[in-house]
Amino acid sequence: MGVGSAELTLEGVDGGVYRLGGLQGDEERVLLVFAHSECPTSKLALARLGPLGPALAERGVRLVCIVQEPLEVAARMARQHAIDALVLAERPPYAVANAFGVQTVPMMILLGSDGGIEGTVVGWVADLLNELLPVRVSDAEPRWKPGCEARPGHDAHLPPPGPSAFDELEDMFERGWTDGLPVVPPTADRVAAMLGGHDPDRSLGVVPPGMGEATLARVAACAVLAGCKPAYFPVVLAAVEALLDPAFNVHGQAVTTSPPGQIVIVNGPVRTALELNSGMGALGPGNRANLTIGRAARLVVQLTGGGAAGGLDRATLGHQGKISFCFAENEEASPWEPLSVERGFGDEASTVTLIGGDAPLSISDHRSKTPRELAATIGWAAAVTWSPFWWPVDATSLFILGGEHVRMFAKAGWSKADVRDAIYEQVRRPARELRHGETTPQVYAAHPEELIAKWDDPERIVIVVAGGEAGRFSAVCGPSLGMEAAVITREVPWNT
Amino acid sequence: MEYVSPIDERVRQPEPLAQPTATIEGKTVALLDISKNRGAEFLDRLELHLHDRGAKTIRFRKPTFSRPAPAELIEEIALHGDLAVEGLAD
Repeated sequence: MGVGSAELTLEGVDGGVYRLGGLQGDEERVLLVFAHSECPTSKLALARLGPLGPALAERGVRLVCIVQEPLEVAARMARQHAIDALVLAERPPYAVANAFGVQTVPMMILLGSDGGIEGTVVGWVADLLNELLPVRVSDAEPRWKPGCEARPGHDAHLPPPGPSAFDELEDMFERGWTDGLPVVPPTADRVAAMLGGHDPDRSLGVVPPGMGEATLARVAACAVLAGCKPAYFPVVLAAVEALLDPAFNVHGQAVTTSPPGQIVIVNGPVRTALELNSGMGALGPGNRANLTIGRAARLVVQLTGGGAAGGLDRATLGHQGKISFCFAENEEASPWEPLSVERGFGDEASTVTLIGGDAPLSISDHRSKTPRELAATIGWAAAVTWSPFWWPVDATSLFILGGEHVRMFAKAGWSKADVRDAIYEQVRRPARELRHGETTPQVYAAHPEELIAKWDDPERIVIVVAGGEAGRFSAVCGPSLGMEAAVITREVPWNT
Repeated sequence: MEYVSPIDERVRQPEPLAQPTATIEGKTVALLDISKNRGAEFLDRLELHLHDRGAKTIRFRKPTFSRPAPAELIEEIALHGDLAVEGLAD
C-alpha cells in the first residue's frame, strides 16, 4: 500500500465511496491502474486491461482503475473501454497517486495480499504485464507504448492553449452529447442559469428506454445543449413531466421501428411571453423557442434516456421531427376553445400537450365550397397515414388547421366537434377495398361492402389551429400506432 | 472545461444470466405471448415441439408488446416456470 494511502477515500463510478485500505480482501491481490483521459497510452491500457476484470478476479487479483478525472468523465471512460471492474475517480490534489509516487500514466501497481508492492509497470509494456499477472494481456500491437505525465504535472506543463487547441463544440460530438447537430456546451454556469434556483438533484423519474434518472440538472443540461434560453425552462420541465407519464409510453415510442416523435404543443399566455411561433411557418424553421424547446425534450429521451438513433432507438427511418417538433396553437386565429381548455384546463392556463406522432403531411385545398367538402379533403389526406389499408387505426391523429381553412369552418358556424365528426364520418371505405397488404382483422371480419372508418373512435382526432393568415393549407400528423400512447397535457407554472 | 452531463453516468451492473439447463425434459417452460400480431400462432407451434421433448408448458400473455411486462406477470412467470420463452417486438 502506498505511504499513508490506506485511509484515503475515492468515489466509485458505481456510486460507492471506497477506502483504499478496504479494497483488498483476504488472500487477495490488487492491481491498481492509474490513468487519465488525455493520455492515449492510458486509454490503451484501460481498453486492454478493463475487460480482464473478471478473469483476474478468478485468479485472486482485483482490478481497480484510478482515473484522474471528475466522476462523470471516469464513468464515461469506464463505459467506453468496457471496464468490467471497480473504477474510482481521483481529483486534485491527487493524494492517492502521490502516495504511490505516480508521475507517469498509465501506471500499473500490483499489491500483494499483504499490501506490499509486488511489481510496477509504467506505460504500456505487454511483456512485463504478462510476467506480472496471472492472466495474459492482449497480444495486439502495440505491445509497448510510452506513458504520459500524470496529473497534476500534466496540466501544469501544458502549453498555453492556441486558437485551435481545443474545440468545445467538437468535444460535444466526441462525448456523444448531440442529436447530430452542434449543441451549446452545458457548462456549470449555463446549467445553473437554466435551473434558475430549482434543486438540481430533484428527480422527475427515470427516462426510458435506458432508465437514466432525469434530475433537474440533467434536464437543464439538455435544455442548454438544445440552445434554450433559461426563460424556456418551465416549458421544458412541463414537457418532460408529460413525456414521463406512463400513459404516454415514451418507452415504446423511443425504441420502436416505427417513426413516431414526440410532438409538443404549447397553449396559453406562456406562448406570447416566450415568443413561440403559432403563426406563419409555425412547423418550420426560424423560431428559437419552438425549435429549442422541442429539441430539449427530445434530447432528454436521447441522452438521459439513452434512446439514441441506431442504438436503443430502432426506428427504420425516423423523421426530422424527432430532432425537434414543438409549436404553439394560434389561439388568436381560432374560433374554438384552445386545446388546453378542451383538455380540462382553465382559460388562462399555460400548458404543454404531448402527442406521439409522425411527420406532418401537408394538405392543400383551395377549391372546396362547403365546410363538409373541406373536412373531407382534410380527412382523406389522413387516409394514407400509417398505411393506406390499415383501417381503423386506434391511435391519435393530429390535425393542424391553417387560418383560411379554419375561417371557412367558422363562417359556417361549425364547432371543432363538427369538424371532427365530419372527418370521422366521411373517411370510410368498403372493406373489400382495404383487403390489400397490411390491414386489420376487422377488415376481413366485415362484409365486403361494409364501410370501415379510418379511426376506431372520433376522439382519436385531435384538432389544433396554427399557421399564417394566408394560404389554404393544413397538415396532419399520422398516428403512433401500437404504442397505446395517450395524449398528455401538463400545466406550465407561469404568472402572466 | 467541466460540464454538467445530460447522461446518467452511473454504471449499472447487469443481472447475471441464469445457467442454461442441461435438459428440458420434465421442466415447465413459460411461453410469454407479447400480444404481437400472430405471435400466439408461433408459440402454438413451439409448444408442440416442447411437448415432444418432454417439457410441460404454461402460457402467459402481456397486455401489449409496446410496454415492458408488468412486474406481477414477471413474478408469476418466475414462480411457475423453470424456463421462459418470449419474443421481441419491433
